[in-house]
Amino acid sequence: MLTTAILVPLLGAVAVAVLGRRWSDGVARAVGVGVTIVPLALVVAAWAAFDRSSPELFQLVTEVDWIPTLGVGYRVGVDGIALAVAGVTAVVFTAAVAHPAETRGIAHQYVAWFLFLESASLGLFFALDLVLFYVFFDLSLVGMYFLVSRWGHDDAERAALKFFLYTFLGSLSLLVGIIALGLSMDPITFDMRAIIDAQPLAAAGHAMVVLVLVLVGLGIKTPVVPFHTWLPAAHVEAPATASAVLAGVLLKMGTFGLIRIPYAMMRETFADAAVVVGIVAVISILYGALVALGQGDLKRRIAYTSVNHMGYVVLGVAAAGSVLTGDEAARGLALTGATVQMVAHGLITGALFLLTGSIWRRTHDFDLDHYGGLLATVPLLAGATILASFASLGLPGLAGFVGEFQIFVGTFAVLPVLAGIGLLGIVITAALFLQLLQRLFLGELPEDLATMPDLDPVERTTLAGLLALVVLIGVAPRFLVDTANAAASILVGG
Amino acid sequence: MIAWSLPLVPMVAGLAMAATGGRVPEGRRRRVVGATGVAVMFVTLVLAGGAVVVESSGSHDVGGGLALHVAAGGLPGWAALLVSGVATAVVAWAAAHEDVDGLGSLLGLLVAFVGAMLLLVVADDLVTLVVGWELVGIASWALIGHRWRDPSAPAAAAHAYNATRFGGLGIVLAAGATFAATGTVAFDAIRLLDGAALGVVAAGILLAAASKSALVPFSPWLFSAMAGPTAVSALLHSSTMVAAGAYALVRLGPALEPVGWFGPVAIAVGLVTALAGGVVALLQGHAKKLLAASTSAQYGLMVVAVGAGYPVVAFLHLAAHALLKAHLFLSAGVAREAVGSHDLARMRLGNQLRSTAWLAAVAALALAASPPLGAAWTKEEVLAAAAHDAVWIGLAVAVAGGLSAAYATRYHLLAFGGRRHDGPSPRPAPLRRPTGVEVAAMAALGMGTVALSVLWVPSVHEAVVAGLDGELPTPAAWELPTSLALVALGAYVVWSRDRSGRLGHVPAVGRARALADWLGLPTLTRHVVVTPTLALAHALAQVDDRVVDAGVRGVARTATRVSDLLGRRVEWSVDRVVAAMAGGVSRLADVFSRDGERAVDAVVAGVARVVERGGRDVRRLQTGFVHHQYVVVAVGVVVVLAAAILGR
Repeated sequence: MLTTAILVPLLGAVAVAVLGRRWSDGVARAVGVGVTIVPLALVVAAWAAFDRSSPELFQLVTEVDWIPTLGVGYRVGVDGIALAVAGVTAVVFTAAVAHPAETRGIAHQYVAWFLFLESASLGLFFALDLVLFYVFFDLSLVGMYFLVSRWGHDDAERAALKFFLYTFLGSLSLLVGIIALGLSMDPITFDMRAIIDAQPLAAAGHAMVVLVLVLVGLGIKTPVVPFHTWLPAAHVEAPATASAVLAGVLLKMGTFGLIRIPYAMMRETFADAAVVVGIVAVISILYGALVALGQGDLKRRIAYTSVNHMGYVVLGVAAAGSVLTGDEAARGLALTGATVQMVAHGLITGALFLLTGSIWRRTHDFDLDHYGGLLATVPLLAGATILASFASLGLPGLAGFVGEFQIFVGTFAVLPVLAGIGLLGIVITAALFLQLLQRLFLGELPEDLATMPDLDPVERTTLAGLLALVVLIGVAPRFLVDTANAAASILVGG
Repeated sequence: MIAWSLPLVPMVAGLAMAATGGRVPEGRRRRVVGATGVAVMFVTLVLAGGAVVVESSGSHDVGGGLALHVAAGGLPGWAALLVSGVATAVVAWAAAHEDVDGLGSLLGLLVAFVGAMLLLVVADDLVTLVVGWELVGIASWALIGHRWRDPSAPAAAAHAYNATRFGGLGIVLAAGATFAATGTVAFDAIRLLDGAALGVVAAGILLAAASKSALVPFSPWLFSAMAGPTAVSALLHSSTMVAAGAYALVRLGPALEPVGWFGPVAIAVGLVTALAGGVVALLQGHAKKLLAASTSAQYGLMVVAVGAGYPVVAFLHLAAHALLKAHLFLSAGVAREAVGSHDLARMRLGNQLRSTAWLAAVAALALAASPPLGAAWTKEEVLAAAAHDAVWIGLAVAVAGGLSAAYATRYHLLAFGGRRHDGPSPRPAPLRRPTGVEVAAMAALGMGTVALSVLWVPSVHEAVVAGLDGELPTPAAWELPTSLALVALGAYVVWSRDRSGRLGHVPAVGRARALADWLGLPTLTRHVVVTPTLALAHALAQVDDRVVDAGVRGVARTATRVSDLLGRRVEWSVDRVVAAMAGGVSRLADVFSRDGERAVDAVVAGVARVVERGGRDVRRLQTGFVHHQYVVVAVGVVVVLAAAILGR
């Protein structure tokens, strides 16, 4: 089931690239959606098949030897956290492929790269082998590189390159750490389950070095301050649909990896470093929010809120891993909250970036000073943006609140001071989103925007799909929380 | 059942009204939307009545060990009855009074606002309290910004939301501390806490209450909230938003009493607000801002009562204040409509708007705490509670009462007093007069104020307080005479100034004006919080671009230079690899095609094309050794995978 979910978009990518030369924009996107529906359905099926009360962390496991002498294998499986993130992946990709975009006459290639990227993303979240994880981690860079450089805005080549080189540097750092972990096993293996059970570096002198390498690699991808500067550049130049995927899915690879590798495989070393990780997270929360508030460019502003929101996730993971025993309920809540926040951020920021794409299609302008008073002109666009912004600022009843509340309440038990300082980010986020709404939709309407068309039916559908999930998670989050909690309660040892 | 439907009915119905109300043709909108809004509020009122009689509770499991708990009955039931009763009158008034343009969303959001407040009222744990708290806040954002085409309204709305959200973080802190110690966030769990954990909870709740109830130093947001329509102010000041802070203290205060500093700090904050708010109200020339300052002052008195250990007294004062303040705002709206301005110096409408003036007089007398109205009894009880703590605190409350009498008199004389002969010339007729519905709504609130007079009857107030599980302070003999003397003095001073023609509005310049604007607090907040935060944000945005990123760019430049050197040599070899791979795949295709496998041929040829294209992409990237290598490897992996797939 999981393997099919990885392969179908990959096969689809090849098929679309080969067969779709003469397809129109609409046909290519429609075929693309047809392909993305399959992994979506499979993830839903996996969700249904997943046993939340099982004492086994990983389920639905498939294993095929690849390089047996090095203990490398094609191993896939899911825990509740992977399932949650894979779910948001399948949803965001379907919406991003469906959402209108400027495909520049090569729609088949555009769709193919999206499908390729979806395959890599799902592969990463399903991987139970560190080498496999690394391969997918890097393939995701390739896919995103081409999406940004080919279909991006003016300065896309440069931004794409920066994104690529920077995150590739991170992945090299990660690779060294992964090799160190694998080699420390006897016999050598990159099987995640075996490494989690063995905790091979627990007593090793170089454990902290390995941890730092892994944390830097994942920190660049997440990104945390100060490794975040590739993010606004890539987001501003990327096509909006690619931004939605970048923020909605690719950033999760960093925090997902944080839970998978340092948190789960190096518990003692991670616990030693947890306070520092938490401090970096709080800096990301406050710095990301403040810098976002200082942006006059719509897309840059939303890009920086990702630094803020991913900071909450890192804080939750740091809290969960800060001690080895004790406070299980609170630490489990923090880890569950981190997972819920990943899902919520994927859906919310995915929707926000798709909305920036819709705005760009209409005006080719991201300068907030050129907007205002659009509420009555484009009520649906405004309504969707308001809803997504409310969700992003953590309004109860919408998805963003659930994870943030769980993270803060859970973190307070183990890192109370950091939790308290991090809370201030919530006020700044509220201020920056209310100001954003004000500058776009309220006040006086510039004359040249008086005839701006509202959302078309396709845009309405993609946004309605994402925002419906945002409301569902906000109102009845149990389906997600219980799934995440199944993994979290095992991981915190409760 | 009732506990859930109480908040959900108005919330859902209100949102539906807001979404669809604009589609009702303008000609019928006032009737259709108005009737719907009043009907929903009436249903809610009936549910609240049920909540008083029947105990009910419910919970909603959100997983991860957290659940939302609600409970109605007792204090929450009575609070729900108060909220929905006042709101019914305000919604009816709004349906008759406010602009028909946007009336659907205004009434819908008002109703939803009430629903959010009711959720906060029936909340039985700290998560539910946060949820209600934030929903009340965001609803008030939308309502204050109702006239969104005016750029100042959204900014004022954001001020109100941000200020109260900052305070709301206190509840999240309280939830964190409670969960850390007990593993739950139920209100009952707070009683199990002690030491630092309970201290955090007390600080958090007090911070939250101070922000929402517009106590010092948060008071100025209430002035910003004036940007909203009159009906919004009437509701926001009486039984929702501002009431949320004091209500949370009433609800949780008893559990916080073991914290030694809690009572004294609450009394200090409350007393400072009561006295400062009174001074501001005496100086204000803007009708709604005068009332807003008096709101802060009255909530200050409630917080004094909680701090002194008598939360039920605070609740009764909240109830009396809700009825009179909603009424006063509605009357201010009528006056504004008549003269087209909130400037008190231009009103004196007593002769023109007789019925409104008479009705408003009831509310003004209540605000002044004149016996036999119920608001006077509740104020005397606040005084007794304060004096129970220390005599000088009781005296300070009595002084605050004198100020209340003074500003209530001042408001009424300026807004609805008779025209003075030496005053400005009469306005040209015709004035816009209140409709029957508006008068009825104000009359209903006035009747509520009058009905509360029964609180003076000992058997009644003893039964009420016992019903709310509270107790009353024992008054000392000096209190009532002192208090009444100060009330009389306050009213007399203002009245005599009016007689001698010196009760104008505040001069538009100088120190008085600065003092009238919340004693300069808004300026202070702007200079200490808002401007520095924005400046920091912009500075960091610059730093982020120029400094943090500079290191990255430096590395990139070096890498580019190195790659230029390597490039000439590597380019050639990379090309070779790509060409070889493409050739290999093509040869593979040849093999297949010789076997006549046309379909396979097409696919393989396609793969070859993709690889070739990939090769071209590789060549396009003049970027460096590592990068080139890497893309080639990646494409190679794709080819291998594709081959593996074909082989299956």
